[in-house]
Amino acid sequence: MTVLQEPVQAAVWHALNHYAYRDAVFLAERLYAEVHSEEALFLLATCYYRSGKAYKAYRLLKGHSCTTPQCKYLLAKCCVDLSRLAEGEQILTGGVLNKQKSHDDIVTEFGDSACFTLSLLGQIYCKTDRLAKGSECYQKSLTLNPFLWSPFESLCEIGEKPDPDQMFKLTSLQNFSSCQPNICPIYTATYSIPHRQLDTILMETPQDTLELNRLNLESSNSKYSSLNTDSSVSYIDPSVISPDSVPIGTGSALLAKQAQNKPKSGRCLLGGPAALSPLTPSFGILPLEPSPGDGSYLQNFTNTTSVMDPPTTGLPPKKSVARISQAGMKSVFAQSGNSRDVTPIHLMQTQSTAPQTRGIERFYSLVRFGSAAGVTVREGRADRTVAEREGEKRGSAGKRDQTNSSTTPQVLSPTVAAPPNAQPRRSSRLFTSASSTAKENSKKLKMKFPTKIPNRKTKTKTKGGITQSNMNDSIEILKLDSSIISEGKSNIATPQVQAFNIQKAAADGLMNLMRDMGKGYLALCSYNCKEAIGILSQLPSHHYNTGWVLCQIGRAHFELAEYMQAERIFSEVRRIESYRVEGMEIYSTTLWHLQKDVALSALSKDLTDMDKNSPEAWCVAGNCFSLQREHDIAIKFFQRAIQVDPGFAYAYTLLGHEFVLTEELEKALACFRNAIRVNSRHYNAWYGLGMIYYKQEKFSLAEIHFKKALGINPQSSVLLCHIGVVQHALKKSEHALETLNKAISIDPKNPLCKFHRASILFANEKYKAALQELEELKQIVPKESLVYFLIGKVYKKLGQTHLALMNFSWAMDLDPKGANNQIKEAIDKRYLPDDEEPVTQEDSYPFESVEAEESQESSMTDADDTQLHAAESDEVY
Amino acid sequence: MTGKKAAGEWTKEVQDYQKKMATASKTPPGADPKQLERTGTVREIGSQAVWSLSSCKPGFGVDQLRDDNLETYWQSDGSQPHLVNIQFRRKTTVKMLCIYADFKSDESYTPSKISVRVGNNFHNLQEIRQLELVEPSGWIHVPLLDIVNNPIRTFMIQIAVLANHQNGRDTHMRQIKVYTPVEESSVGKFPRCTTVDFMMYRTIR
Repeated sequence: MTVLQEPVQAAVWHALNHYAYRDAVFLAERLYAEVHSEEALFLLATCYYRSGKAYKAYRLLKGHSCTTPQCKYLLAKCCVDLSRLAEGEQILTGGVLNKQKSHDDIVTEFGDSACFTLSLLGQIYCKTDRLAKGSECYQKSLTLNPFLWSPFESLCEIGEKPDPDQMFKLTSLQNFSSCQPNICPIYTATYSIPHRQLDTILMETPQDTLELNRLNLESSNSKYSSLNTDSSVSYIDPSVISPDSVPIGTGSALLAKQAQNKPKSGRCLLGGPAALSPLTPSFGILPLEPSPGDGSYLQNFTNTTSVMDPPTTGLPPKKSVARISQAGMKSVFAQSGNSRDVTPIHLMQTQSTAPQTRGIERFYSLVRFGSAAGVTVREGRADRTVAEREGEKRGSAGKRDQTNSSTTPQVLSPTVAAPPNAQPRRSSRLFTSASSTAKENSKKLKMKFPTKIPNRKTKTKTKGGITQSNMNDSIEILKLDSSIISEGKSNIATPQVQAFNIQKAAADGLMNLMRDMGKGYLALCSYNCKEAIGILSQLPSHHYNTGWVLCQIGRAHFELAEYMQAERIFSEVRRIESYRVEGMEIYSTTLWHLQKDVALSALSKDLTDMDKNSPEAWCVAGNCFSLQREHDIAIKFFQRAIQVDPGFAYAYTLLGHEFVLTEELEKALACFRNAIRVNSRHYNAWYGLGMIYYKQEKFSLAEIHFKKALGINPQSSVLLCHIGVVQHALKKSEHALETLNKAISIDPKNPLCKFHRASILFANEKYKAALQELEELKQIVPKESLVYFLIGKVYKKLGQTHLALMNFSWAMDLDPKGANNQIKEAIDKRYLPDDEEPVTQEDSYPFESVEAEESQESSMTDADDTQLHAAESDEVY
Repeated sequence: MTGKKAAGEWTKEVQDYQKKMATASKTPPGADPKQLERTGTVREIGSQAVWSLSSCKPGFGVDQLRDDNLETYWQSDGSQPHLVNIQFRRKTTVKMLCIYADFKSDESYTPSKISVRVGNNFHNLQEIRQLELVEPSGWIHVPLLDIVNNPIRTFMIQIAVLANHQNGRDTHMRQIKVYTPVEESSVGKFPRCTTVDFMMYRTIR
C-alpha cells in the first residue's frame, strides 16, 4: 500500500458504500491506471460487479491473471452470473487438466471465504447436473458456516434431506469461531491470524484507509481535534487500524471480503500505524469529510457512538439521527453508520435509547428461543440503561468530556469501569464503532475480534437476501449484543467467559430459529406440506409475519390444493411486503385456479410495473392472460419469463400448459422436458408430460409420468386422482379404485376424486355404490352440474327415467351458459355408448324412450342459447 | 328463424330459400366471437393455418384479413369466384367460421353468396355450406358440422365468394376467424365442470 493509493481507495470504498457506483468506478479506474496492482484490479472489478455489470468485472479479471483468492472468487462469481459454468469451475477447482482441488484445498486457499466459495461451487455442480458433488459442497459450506441459509435451501431443493439439527448448530468451537470470529476473541486471535494475513490484504486496506480517513477528518474537523490529534495520532492509529471493524462499513461489499477482515487485523498490527501518520494530512484535504455512513453498519454501534459524541454542533448529526430513528434499529447498516460523527446528546439519548431497548427485546426473544442464558442478558441490559443515564447526565451537565461521555454509552454492558483509560481514543471509536473501543482497551487480546464482527454481518447479509429481513435484524441484534459483550470482556477480564457464553447463547438462538425454519423448508421441499405448515406456523409471530415464511406456508397450501387458504396467506404477503416478487408466481397460479381474474390482473399489473426483469412477474402476467383464454398472449409472456431467466423451471411448465391448451403438443412436450432439465424435481412438469400422453391416449406412458410426479410429491390428491383415471383407462379398475381411495383418504375434500370414483363404479355397473358416492359428492359441491349429470346417467341406467330427467334438467339449470352446451350436446346426441368417455365402457342402454323428451327439452332451451347453438340445433329441426 | 341461411342438403336449401323469401330480412349479425372465446368452449386456430388468396389488391391481403382490425379488409383483384384457402398442417377439428362483413361500408363489395368447402387438398374439396347474405353488418357465424352434428375434421377449408351485392365484381372481407372446440384439459372426457370448487382440482399447474 503506497501512500498514494490509500486515499483513493478510501474514496472508492466511500463511494461504494453510498451506492455511488459511477463515482466509485471512475475512481477505481483511475487508481488502476495509476498503480496497476492486483489490489487495484480487484477494487475495480468489485466496483463493476457491485454496479451490476458482472460482465465488465468478468472481462477485466479475465484479462489479467488473478492470483489472490478474492479475485478468483469474484471471477468465479461473475462466471456463474454469466452462466459460464465450466470456466467458473475451472477457476475454483483448477479445472480438468490440472489436478482437481479437494475441498480441503479450497478451504485452506480461501480461508474465511471458503464457505462462500464452496457454496458457489456447489451451485455450479448442481447446475451442471452433478448433484452428488454439489450436495457435498453445500454440506461442507454449511459445516464451515452454519449461518448460511442458501446452501441449505439448495440442498433441500435438489432433493437431499439435510438434517437441520445437524446443519444449524455450532458444533465445535472451531466452527463457531470461524463463522463469527468476533464472538470469541480469545480463541480467534490465535487462530485467525495465520491464514488470512496474506490473502486479505486487499480487503483490509480499504477499510483501514477508511478508518484513517475518518479519524483524520474527524480530528481535523471537530473541535476536539486538538485533543485527539495528540493522543490519537500515537495512540489511536494502532487501535484504529487494528479494529478492522471498519470493514464493517464496507460490509456492503459482501463479496469476498468477509473472510479477509481478519487478515486486516493482522496487517494493521504490522504496518498500520506507520502508514497512518503520513496519510493523515492528505485525508484532511480529501472531500470525504461528510462520510458518515461508512463504518457503522451495526446499528448498535451507531447508537452507542452517537451517544458518545455529545459535544459537536447538532445540525448535521440531527439528520443522521433522524434517519436512525426512522429506520428503527432494524435499518440497514449503512444508514446507521452515519450518525456517529456528531450527535447532540439530547437527540441521541432519546432516539438511541428507544431503538436499543427494542433491539434488546428482540434479542431476548431470540435468546428465549434458543433457551439461552437470559439472565445474563438482562443484567447486561440493566447496565446499559444505567450507562445511558450516566451519559445523559453528563451530556446535560454540559461536560464536553468526549472521552467520558462516549465511553460510557459504549460500555453499555457490564464493564463500565474500564472506559477511563480509553478516553483519548474516543475519536477513533466514533469512527470505527463501539467495537473499536473495546479493542483499544484490550488491543492485544482482541485485535482480531472486532474485525470479525464485520464478517458476521456480511455473512448474515448474504443470507438475509434469501431468508427475510427479520432474520437480518435479529442477527444484527445478536451481533450488537455480542459486540457489546465482547467489549465488556475486553475491559474486564472476568466477564470474558461470561460474555462468550452470552454470545454463544445468542448465536444458539439464531441457530434454533434457523433449525426450525430449516425443518419447515425441508418438509415443504419433500412435500410434507401439512408438516411444513405446522412447523412454520410455530415460528414466533414476528418471524411468522414475514414475506418469506408466509410465502412458504402459502406454497404448502398451494401444493395441498387448498387454494383458498393459499390465497389468503399470499394476500397477506402482498399486504406486508408489496415488493415481494418471489413466490408470486405461485400466488398467480392460485388465483388462476380460483379464477379470480380481477385480483390476478391487478397483481400482474403491479408486478410487471415493478420488476420487468423477474421471471415471476411475467409468469403472473401469463397466468392472467391464460385465465382470459388469450393463450397466444399468455404464451408470449411465459416466453418472456424464460428469456428473463432461463433457469426458472416453473415458467417452462406454465408455457407447456399453455401449449397444451392450444393443442401444440409437440411444443408442450419440449417445454415440460426443459422444465425437467432445469429442475428434475419439478413435479408439475412430470405431470404435464403425463397429461400430454394421456391426451394422446398413450396411457401407460401417462401412468409412468404421473407416477414419477407422484414420487416427488406423494401427498398430492390431484395427482393420485389422475393416476386412478389412467389406471382405469388401462382397464385396471381395481388399482384405480385403490388409488382413488388413497387420494380420498389424503384429501377427503377433493371432489374430483369422488367424482371419478363414482364414474368408475358406474362404469363397473356398481350403480348403487356410484349413486351413494354421488350423493356424498352433492354435499361437497352442491352446485356442480356435472354431478347431477352423472346422477342422471346412473338413473338412466337403472331405468328410472324420471329421476334421470330430473337430474339432467338440474344439471342444465345449474349451468345455463358454458358447459351447458356440452351437456346438452351430450343429451342431444343421446350420449350413446360409442361416444361415451373411454373411461366408462358402457353398454347400450334404454335410451330411446328418453330420447323424445330430451330433444324436446333441448329445443326448449334453445331460446336462451347463443346463436351458435341455435345454428347447431338447426340440424335437429 | 334464428340462424343463417344454412344449406347443405337439398331440403335444407329449399327450406332456407323459402325462409328467405318469406322474410327477405337482412342477415342479422351474430355475437362477437371474442365473447365465445371467453366462454372457453372454442378457440381460434387461424394462426396455425397457412392462408392464401385467389387474388388481392396490394396492401389488402391476408394480413388485413387476419389482423383483428375491422377497419382493414382484404380486397380481391381478379375474377370471381374469389377464394380464401386455409390449410392446416395436420387434420384439424373445426367447429365454426366467423366472417365479418359490413354492407354499410363495403356496399357492392359485400359478398352475397358464400360457399364453404373442405377437403384434404385443392383437388378434393367438397362444399359443405353455402350461404346467402343480405346486407350483412357484423359477424356471420358459419358452423361447420357434419351430418351428425359433430365438428368436421379437415386439412383444408376454402371459402369462395360466389357473388357480391349489386353484382359487384371484387369483394371485401374484413375478418375471418376459425374456431375449434376446446377439449377438456382434465382427464376423463366428461363435459366441462362448471363450479370453481370443482374445477380447481381438475389440473395441476
